[in-house]
Amino acid sequence: MGALGKPIILMVAMYVFLKFVLPNIPGSAPLPASLIVLYLLLTSAGIVIFETVSKESKDAFWGPMQRFLTGENIGGMQAIRYGVFILFPLLVGWQTYGSTAASDVPPSESRTIHPAPPGEYTGLSNPVQKTPENIMQGKGFYAAFCSPCHGANFDGKGPAARGFNPPPANFADPTTIAMLQESYLFWRIKKGGVGLPIEGAPWKSAMPRWEVELPDEWIWKIILGEYDGAHQSPRTWE
Amino acid sequence: MKPANLVMKRVLRGGSAAIVAMIIGGASLSFAQESVAVRAAIVTGGLPVDDPNAAAWSTAAPATFPMSPQVHWPNRIQEVTVQDVIVRAMHDGKQVVFLLEYRDPTQDPDDGAALEFMVGDKKAHFAHGQPMLQVEGGPVNIWFWKHKTDQAVDMTAKGFGTLKPQEHQDVKAKGAYANGTWKIVFTRNLSTGHPDEDVQITPGNFINVAFAVWDGRKDGAGELVEKGSQKAVSSWWYFRADAPPDYSGYMYAAIAVTLALGFQFVLIRKLKKGQ
Repeated sequence: MGALGKPIILMVAMYVFLKFVLPNIPGSAPLPASLIVLYLLLTSAGIVIFETVSKESKDAFWGPMQRFLTGENIGGMQAIRYGVFILFPLLVGWQTYGSTAASDVPPSESRTIHPAPPGEYTGLSNPVQKTPENIMQGKGFYAAFCSPCHGANFDGKGPAARGFNPPPANFADPTTIAMLQESYLFWRIKKGGVGLPIEGAPWKSAMPRWEVELPDEWIWKIILGEYDGAHQSPRTWE
Repeated sequence: MKPANLVMKRVLRGGSAAIVAMIIGGASLSFAQESVAVRAAIVTGGLPVDDPNAAAWSTAAPATFPMSPQVHWPNRIQEVTVQDVIVRAMHDGKQVVFLLEYRDPTQDPDDGAALEFMVGDKKAHFAHGQPMLQVEGGPVNIWFWKHKTDQAVDMTAKGFGTLKPQEHQDVKAKGAYANGTWKIVFTRNLSTGHPDEDVQITPGNFINVAFAVWDGRKDGAGELVEKGSQKAVSSWWYFRADAPPDYSGYMYAAIAVTLALGFQFVLIRKLKKGQ
């Protein structure tokens, strides 16, 4: 088994490294299963190439496998050999059953939370001066129009939020308005849920189309009040 | 030795492909997202049509959905009575019945409840199929029950202000109020002859469903608090009428096991001959 031992140890070590060590390296992340499989395939391809460069190494590599499968002079391994012969067809059958059985879970929906805005809503700057009065006024509009869903604490937990899926955005979360420009917020408030592109699943969003009810100036003031109240700053071009 | 090596290579190639398929298949399963859905199991021997209190309902799995005040479009409302609806369903291959259940402290003539479905393949906004700006939406089918008449109205809408009763009324409903709880049964055939305005329910397929409830109480001035667009609403969730049991998976599995056994047999034979 000498020629086979090293490749097996190498494959196991590679798997352990990819699965358990690599994700813990700072700045790294867990690998998707498909990527781990790809790396393991590359590793095994490398091993096969390495082991078959010469006739001697080739025989040393394939020989034990052949002997195992044909069952010649393998002594105590015989039981394991039969086990493999029973388990392999069962595994194939189980996998086939799993892949043909009708799914019992509803279709999964991937929804882009911040889809790209239409061109005319990129790079607009807030025409309203960031003065204490305007911020105050914006917070007043926010309290009247936005807080029922987005919450008096800007956390998306307003009294009207509970039934909505997707839930109203939490502005205190650093991955919402802090990642966006004021121009983007202006688009989202003005056009609402029905203004989203298809990847944003507009049919599910309860966000009102505020352009029908509020003048642009109020929307810009709401944006000032929202950033101030949620203790966030808009993303800018450095 | 050489042909044996070739065979070995083929085996390894096939085997690793099988392993890859297994791992990827397993991975995609574990990533599938579970959403909340109403399931209608198949029932033989009669559906509890017209009977919100039938014992048969206790066998149907309940699904609970949270409600919000309708804030998407004026006239909106900030606060509503009903916080959750509990929904059960069953079907017999021909008809489907839904049981909608919710807490409402008072029984009023203007109490009402509705189911909403997308119609056809196009997505429809949950607020009455409100027009979307970048996506061409479809209509919604609304089954509206009102306590006053204790009947269902089969309706169509494509945006607020377009709601109208259909020419063909295919839905029946009956409500029962007891102990601060409304229970309302809606009944319809799985499919109708009007696929342009009615949801068509194909067993086995998930379809979108949403709910609405009006508490018909009046304020101090004698005005209805919840009326029209001022109501409790839910987002889109899923509904599925279960398909009849399908045993073909076992057949495919048996074929696969046979093929794998045959493959093993041929392989070992070839290896033994090659030596």
